[in-house]
Amino acid sequence: MPTRTDTGHEPLIRISSLVKTYDSGEVPFTALKGVDLIVQPGEFVGLIGKSGSGKTTLINMITGIDRPTSGEVVISGTPVHALSENKLAVWRGRTIGVVFQFFQLLPTLTVVENVMLPMDFCNVHLARERETYALALLEQVEMADQAYKLPSALSGGQQQRVAIARALANDPPILAADEPTGNLDSVTAESVFALFEKLVAGGKTIVMVTHDNDIAARVARALHVRDGEIVDDIRREK
Amino acid sequence: MAVGLPPRWRKVLRDLLTHKLRTLLVVLSIAVGIFAILVVMGGRGILLRTFGDNFPKSNPSTGILYTSGFDASVLERVRLFPGVRDADGRRLVTLTYRVGDVISLPEPPVQETQAVRSKAIELMSSADWTTSRLELVFPQNGAPWPPPRGGVVLEVSDTQIASLAVGDLITVDAPGGGKKLLRVAGFAHDINSFPAMFVGHIRGYVSADTMADLGAPKAMSELLVSLDTTGLDRAGASRIISKIRDDVVAPTGVDVLATYVPDIGSHRLGDIFKAVSVLLLALGVLALILSGFLVVNTVTALLTQQMKQLGIMKAVGGTSWQITRMYLVLVAIYGALAICIGLPAGAFMASWFAVFAGGLLNFGPGSTSPPLSAIELAVAVGFVVPLVAAYVPVHAGTRVSVVEALNSTGMSGAHFGHGRVDRLLGTIRGLPRPVALALRNTFLRKGRLAMTLATLVLAAAVVMSVGSVRASILATVTDMSSWWHYDEQITFAQPVNARLAAREAAKVSGVSGSEGWIVAAASLRRGDGTENDALSVIGLPPATTFITPQITQGRWLVPGDTGVVVNTDVVKSENLSVGDSVSLKVRGVDCTFKIVGVARGQMMGPVFFAEVTKLDSLLSFQGSITRLMVRSDSHAAADQDATGDRLERRFSGLGLLVSGVQGQARQSESFANQLGILVTFLIIMAVILATVGVIGLVGTMIINVLESTREIGVMRAVGASHASIFRVFVTEGFVIGVLSWAGGVVLSFPMSWALVQLLQSAIGVPLTYAFSWQVVALWLVVVSAISAAASLLPAYRASQVSVRDAIAYE
Ligand SMILES: Nc1ncnc2c1ncn2[C@@H]1O[C@H](COP(=O)(O)OP(=O)(O)O)[C@@H](O)[C@H]1O
Ligand SMILES: [Mg+2]
Repeated sequence: MPTRTDTGHEPLIRISSLVKTYDSGEVPFTALKGVDLIVQPGEFVGLIGKSGSGKTTLINMITGIDRPTSGEVVISGTPVHALSENKLAVWRGRTIGVVFQFFQLLPTLTVVENVMLPMDFCNVHLARERETYALALLEQVEMADQAYKLPSALSGGQQQRVAIARALANDPPILAADEPTGNLDSVTAESVFALFEKLVAGGKTIVMVTHDNDIAARVARALHVRDGEIVDDIRREK
Repeated sequence: MAVGLPPRWRKVLRDLLTHKLRTLLVVLSIAVGIFAILVVMGGRGILLRTFGDNFPKSNPSTGILYTSGFDASVLERVRLFPGVRDADGRRLVTLTYRVGDVISLPEPPVQETQAVRSKAIELMSSADWTTSRLELVFPQNGAPWPPPRGGVVLEVSDTQIASLAVGDLITVDAPGGGKKLLRVAGFAHDINSFPAMFVGHIRGYVSADTMADLGAPKAMSELLVSLDTTGLDRAGASRIISKIRDDVVAPTGVDVLATYVPDIGSHRLGDIFKAVSVLLLALGVLALILSGFLVVNTVTALLTQQMKQLGIMKAVGGTSWQITRMYLVLVAIYGALAICIGLPAGAFMASWFAVFAGGLLNFGPGSTSPPLSAIELAVAVGFVVPLVAAYVPVHAGTRVSVVEALNSTGMSGAHFGHGRVDRLLGTIRGLPRPVALALRNTFLRKGRLAMTLATLVLAAAVVMSVGSVRASILATVTDMSSWWHYDEQITFAQPVNARLAAREAAKVSGVSGSEGWIVAAASLRRGDGTENDALSVIGLPPATTFITPQITQGRWLVPGDTGVVVNTDVVKSENLSVGDSVSLKVRGVDCTFKIVGVARGQMMGPVFFAEVTKLDSLLSFQGSITRLMVRSDSHAAADQDATGDRLERRFSGLGLLVSGVQGQARQSESFANQLGILVTFLIIMAVILATVGVIGLVGTMIINVLESTREIGVMRAVGASHASIFRVFVTEGFVIGVLSWAGGVVLSFPMSWALVQLLQSAIGVPLTYAFSWQVVALWLVVVSAISAAASLLPAYRASQVSVRDAIAYE
């Protein structure tokens, strides 16, 4: 049930009173202490903060990769926190492209097959056209020439580009990336960021975790996270 | 590769092909499970079917009357008796024989070899073999049938104890006196005869002419009767057979010495076979459980490794069902490959086993393919069990959040540090580093450890229990030897004068004493008119020194005693006790005795012991005996054989026909052999089950290494040497091995006790339970060696992992 906000139109992402407590350790640890956040379509949001502040936890709540202890995550009207694991997977496949810090490509599939996998799962495009689409995406991330290699034959930066291409496979409106440049050298990191800017310009909404201050300074909206709370929300004028 | 195949199915295919070692391992584990089930259950099935086909085909009799001799007219009369379906007659004589033509060598060389020692042969003839109707004998491999004059067709099981071939000559001591030559004309299968190995003598079929040539009476001696058995029980059958004896046979002047009515439709080896069958079934169930454990263990380990990839697939939009289906297909392919290996191998081994066991039990020829039910069971274990085993973790994996799946390190690895065992391990200080690490590793994967242990514990318990069954059999044989104190016993074909026999025996070198007994078949007339004909009566001097009867009730015989002592076997089957009066029919004579005591039975079946002079007067034996118990200077088996041989030659030289010579050592041996067949079967099965356990251990070790690759890399990165990593894994294998041994010891107590109970109730012989500590010790050595060796390969692989590989490994 989408709830209307004051402005009268539904935001793309609406997070309210989000709490996440980990209780797998010796003592329960609250990583998010009641976060509220609204993201509009087309925004380029950076989550910035020290290691351990709760950035990954927050972005995992947005992608539905992990579940909140309490609070709500509503994305284009869908209550993500309330979906079953199965519905979540289907919804995520079409709505959010996920880029992990450690790439997480399937080791036994080639680069192009990794990109085709989400199309296969979500039944996007005709089966025989998927490879063409996948190659086009790889072209965008400048990886088309490596399309038939296994991930283990690629460098970290190359794997991350493939992971981004995979995240874009089903043309989702949102891209969520957890430190996509964290394991890359500054030149490669720069090119990945440039790619993101291009995607935002093309109408995508991107939520990205980073602790790279240079990059943090260049996102349209920087959310500063500290001890499980958003302590600063800085919008940069274009 | 795989053009046009959707990426997720390509992943399934590549997972199979890329991790060849893992594929091999999983497939082998499942195949071993299929194999074990097929060998045990399939082997049993083949045996049951061969027996089920061949036994009815032989047209078995319902009862047998042992007579002094009858002719065809008696047979005709019996056939007309109400309730009789058919009747047939045979002549059976037991003779001694030597291999080869020894007529031209009247005095065998002093240093006589085993080959020319005389042994017993049972010759059977029918008035006309081509028209015989009951207990049919089937010639094998084109043997001439009916047997030609002067020729003998041997029972196929004879080769178990005698190496005779077609064309060989044997010399027999003819019933009519002198020696006669017989030529082996071929072999035939007779499912109604005891396999040679069980009785210690061979059986041959001859024509009526040949029997006459040997000087045996022409009349038939055994009257086989087949009754209409619909709605008939053993008591009813026994009543009809007694009626035939009293109303049909006796009035013709024929003496009926004994009758024999087994359980309806039962085989003479029914008890042993039942024991084999029951033991196989018990082991089959154990094999099923073991295989199930192994398969579940392997598949679970495999999927634990895949949890991270499962998480990634969920993250990019894979639904539960899509992902579950991928893994089910993967596992189904493993299962199919395993079936391709396990099914033919298992079927082959099952048929080998069935041929081997069927040969020992003499069940005759039959189809050697395992029954469909066994194949179905094996396929179910190879296919359904892995699918179910895969479904559970995959389903659970698709249920948890992606983060949990990505972080999963194993079935319970994430929880290390919480359990009591973990804390206990934490408190053990001062252990060498690699040992401490290995212990931690071992317990880290508790779920898998539990499965591996369960598999190995079960295997260990089976091996130890089999050892204890064997020990119990040996203990029983030892008990039996302390009961008997003879060296040789000579059974005469006809009663002979006791004084003469004793005097002549004393002249034989090596003989130091003898005692004459009267041994005869007896039937007990019950209150309800039925009879128990499977009894024997032994007349012996009360002061005998040839047995040490253990009295459980009442007293032993005294000189001039008119009572009888029964053994426990009689009490068990007849519900009699001290003070009861019994009415026996012995050699056609009705005798009434009072039971004065009960002695423990010693595997001689139900026996009545009477004072020899009393029995003599009842049977009008006039100082004759049928068995001479002899004691000699040496108790060694070979010396007993030699003395027995000299005795037999002396008696036959005097025209006293000897139908059996038995050395005590040989008798114990033959008894041990009979039960040894069961032990052989058990050992074959135990080896198979132990193999399942060992393969399970190797599999677990390899999977552990594959899973620990990253940890190993880290250990290497912080400076662990090849040798210390190697030690970690070998120690882990060793710890699992020793733990399983300890568990096996505990489980083997109840299991071996149950197996011994099962065995003794199946064969109807009380066994002395003995626990085999030797096998327990042996298994400790074997399992520590095997488990350390089983971890060698994975440990070696682990030590070779480089830091780079470890980090790159997914
Ligand atoms: N699975 C977990 N169990 C327990 N604590 C966790 C878990 N994941 C993260 N945390 C804790 O939550 C806090 C926030 O973690 P995270 O969101 O990963 O931080 P960041 O990404 O900002 O470095 C940290 O203190 C971390 O130790
Ligand atoms: Mg983080």
